[in-house]
Amino acid sequence: MSDPSPSSTSTISGIEVMRGVGAKPAKSFWADAWDRVLLRWAARIGIGWIVIIAFFAVFAPVLANGLPLWTTEFQMNADGSRGDILKEWSPLWTGLGAVDLMLLIGTIVGVPWIAMPVSVLRLKRSHRLGILCAAVVQGGFAVVIAGWVGDWLTAPNAEPGVRSFALENASMVPWLVGGGISLILAFACVFMPTFRKTTARIMLVSVIGMVSTLVIVDRFDPPRANYDRFIDLELKGQYENIYTVIPWSPTQARTNFYVLPPGTIVDSREPDALDTSFGARTFVLGTDSVGQDVLSQMMHACRLSISIGLVSTGISVLIGIIIGSLMGYFGGWVDLVLSRVVEIFMAIPVLFLLIVAAAVLPRNTYMMMAIIGLVSWTLSARFIRAEFLKMRAQDFVQGARAAGLPLRSVLFRHMLPNGITPVLVQASFAIAAAILAEATLSFLGLGPDGQASWGKLLASATGQTGTFNWWLAIFPGAAIFLTVLAYNLMGEAFRDAIDPKLRKAAL
Amino acid sequence: MLGYIVRRLFLMIPTLIGITFLVFMLLAMSPGGIGASLRVSGGQMESSKAALVEAYLEDRYGLDDPVLMQYLRWLGRISPIKTGERDLLKPTGGLVRPPKALNPPPLVDSWFSDFKLPEGKVAEIKATKGPAAAGTAVGREGESPEVIEYKAASKNYAKARADYLVSKKELDKALVRYAEKSGIEGSIKDGKPQMEVFAALPPDTKAPNWNRVRDAGLAVLEAYENAVACRSREIAAFRNDPYPKDGVPVIPGVVSLAMPDLGVAFSRGRPVKDLILDALPVTLLLNFVALPFIYLIAVPAGMLAARYRGSWFDMSSGAIFVAFWSIPTVWAGVLAIGYLADNQYLGWFPVAGLHGNTADGMSFLPSWGDQGFSMGWVVDVLWHIALPVTCLVYTGFAVLAKQTRAAMLDNFNQDYVRTAKAKGVPGRDVLLRHVFRNSLLPLITMFVTIFPAMLAGSVVVEKIFSIPGMGSLILEAINLRDRELILANTFMIAVVNLLALLLADILYAFADPRISYD
Repeated sequence: MSDPSPSSTSTISGIEVMRGVGAKPAKSFWADAWDRVLLRWAARIGIGWIVIIAFFAVFAPVLANGLPLWTTEFQMNADGSRGDILKEWSPLWTGLGAVDLMLLIGTIVGVPWIAMPVSVLRLKRSHRLGILCAAVVQGGFAVVIAGWVGDWLTAPNAEPGVRSFALENASMVPWLVGGGISLILAFACVFMPTFRKTTARIMLVSVIGMVSTLVIVDRFDPPRANYDRFIDLELKGQYENIYTVIPWSPTQARTNFYVLPPGTIVDSREPDALDTSFGARTFVLGTDSVGQDVLSQMMHACRLSISIGLVSTGISVLIGIIIGSLMGYFGGWVDLVLSRVVEIFMAIPVLFLLIVAAAVLPRNTYMMMAIIGLVSWTLSARFIRAEFLKMRAQDFVQGARAAGLPLRSVLFRHMLPNGITPVLVQASFAIAAAILAEATLSFLGLGPDGQASWGKLLASATGQTGTFNWWLAIFPGAAIFLTVLAYNLMGEAFRDAIDPKLRKAAL
Repeated sequence: MLGYIVRRLFLMIPTLIGITFLVFMLLAMSPGGIGASLRVSGGQMESSKAALVEAYLEDRYGLDDPVLMQYLRWLGRISPIKTGERDLLKPTGGLVRPPKALNPPPLVDSWFSDFKLPEGKVAEIKATKGPAAAGTAVGREGESPEVIEYKAASKNYAKARADYLVSKKELDKALVRYAEKSGIEGSIKDGKPQMEVFAALPPDTKAPNWNRVRDAGLAVLEAYENAVACRSREIAAFRNDPYPKDGVPVIPGVVSLAMPDLGVAFSRGRPVKDLILDALPVTLLLNFVALPFIYLIAVPAGMLAARYRGSWFDMSSGAIFVAFWSIPTVWAGVLAIGYLADNQYLGWFPVAGLHGNTADGMSFLPSWGDQGFSMGWVVDVLWHIALPVTCLVYTGFAVLAKQTRAAMLDNFNQDYVRTAKAKGVPGRDVLLRHVFRNSLLPLITMFVTIFPAMLAGSVVVEKIFSIPGMGSLILEAINLRDRELILANTFMIAVVNLLALLLADILYAFADPRISYD
């Protein structure tokens, strides 16, 4: 301090230094850790890769879709020539599901929301991130639950009363379901600490509730996509289609297209389509054993991978925090009993339990998230337990208890922020492990049904005939590897950034 | 120390019960319940045959009991402490149990309460089928009369029980018809009659399908009497001890000790114990070939990285470790098969299995014969497991090397290292004698985390390389929903794992004299 840098132009008196003139405000712990993470090039590459994957996770339905972006239907004359335009519409837009739409809206609103400079919005970035997370939880849950309810109402084997009710009130049901679920979730989410003022909170949840209601109502029963109709009618001349970059949906299969290597052009397989836009299409990364485009599947699988990683880790960390904090805070017989529960999950490899559960329970994405989350919570529970055991005799905890604060407050407001760091570091590795687990289960044929998945693609690399299709091994495998590596690199950088021992060494 | 080990062994019991209960409940939640695959395969048969199969399975595995009861029965078989009558041990190794209790016929207290079998019928059944009929059977030569009688009785009882179940199915059908005509609300669910609903209503004897129901009911009563008689004959034959008793009595007739019984696999009809004894050595072979490699690569690499911290070796090895750790085993396996084993590319290694086609005729060690070089059995096996072991090794060593480096770095900062350096101990000795020995502890812990991870990893590896180990067995069992096999595998893996945990804790005490469990 006694040696001011020679480059400084203005002089500051010692009194002013003591008053803090010219000193930068101290960064918060997390902001500091984040800056340290960004110092490492490996972590930066990892974050970059995750951003790419997240981009595809959101925009895959728009980028890779077998439905045309824009279709013009013509009146056909008797001699086969085109007449007037009958109608124009966007089949891709009408084919998007509620979840697709909600993700698009969330991204288009959310990215500027976070990126806006502090001077414009007057809210700290971390606060904005928290609000965005709350909004994602509310909107996401509303859309997903509405999807379940919709399936339940329209299922062919539904209870007769339910089914007849749904059929009789076909126009009312979407509003009832969408409005009801959005309302319930809005009520639940008012209690999330987004803003300090209650009016602001109510504003937030009602806006999100309205958006989710509109999305659910608009996309209640999306039409079944019939990709071949558009292609066939275009070949006949009745339609004129403009497609997106990759004109294939992940589940779109056409005969003749089994196991084609990358770069195959459609007209080599369908001579009838010569000199048409359909015939000029290329399978950039080839096709799989049922004739589906690999690139499209790869892009759509991004969402499965990234969402399973995030959601299942969220579940496992949540359970781990609750159980671990109880174990660490109470000790004694609570600890003994819960330790046995933890040991149950440690007694047998997680993958084994996952295989049993995935084989036995219904095969869908949400079930898989739940399974992975419910099976892998023990590590975070043990971390939290160790931290809480250390903390529980400390003065601030004793003080909080002596002040008569409720248990909830002592555990989660006073102790948790001081003990969460190891769990958050571990969460990054846990996301990697969850993605790996999903890939492995899909590889073993236990993944979600009807979903494009990297693991499923990888499994089709070695066919029953014993041939090895390299493009089905290299691309999906590399995608899994790079995503897992990215999360692991981020975890490593994060761990090093907050490790005080290493920090001391760096000074 | 001994007290500690004993306490830990006792604490393993609730854990084992917990994990098997968890898996059992998961299996019970599966659509169609336990043994669904067997019933599905029975769906192709005619109804009477399917009922026979179902009757056999229910009798053998107790599938018609409540789920909790089934679990407790499984637990009773697995526990070395048995209660009640002791099982008998067949010379072939199979166990013989006293027959299970029979469920009374449905509606017997309400609709069929005044039904009577014809005069003298019950007495006739008792005389021809019950214990009184003992000694009428003819057996093979050399068999003792007890064995002959037991075999005949159990065969009769199995048939009678199947007949009883078939007759119950017929009654179900009749009731469904009856309910359709009379239109009783809520009486049929998923094509099965709900007996409580029927029992609460008075029978409508004027309904068009009543005669069917009455005839079916009478048939059920007769089949039930028949089964009861046959059962008592089997019990009598069982108590004559046709085979030697299993286990050792502690309190005669109440508590006895016997080997745990892992049951018979649904899908293969073989004792689970035999299947596991076939598969476990293969998996252990893979893992125990892989383990030394893991330690041999990881420990020196981690030591060097820690010694030359911040050097290019440390940086590059750190990056390589993370990269290796992130490679999915499924990907590595598929690439290895595709490029190294498939004939399309290099084809250096075998694609699948543990032995070559000619392994049976090979000599044990490699040799030069008439047809030139012969690999011999040992080299053949090593050649087959080279790729799978590589797949197991690379994930393990990355984790272990990072752990070694971290542990060594921890110790480098300690005071005793500074002291040693200050008094002039050569750097080599500081590294090997002081730092490394004190860093051993985490390496032992790692063994504990590596071992279960490798067991799980070998599930994937064995699937990819078609190796008939525990992993393949588990996957097959799960695909077929073979309850006995899945539960036994869970139990075995949990026992192995928990013992590994215990072993690691004991090794702690040996590696570090500061740790004591007393």
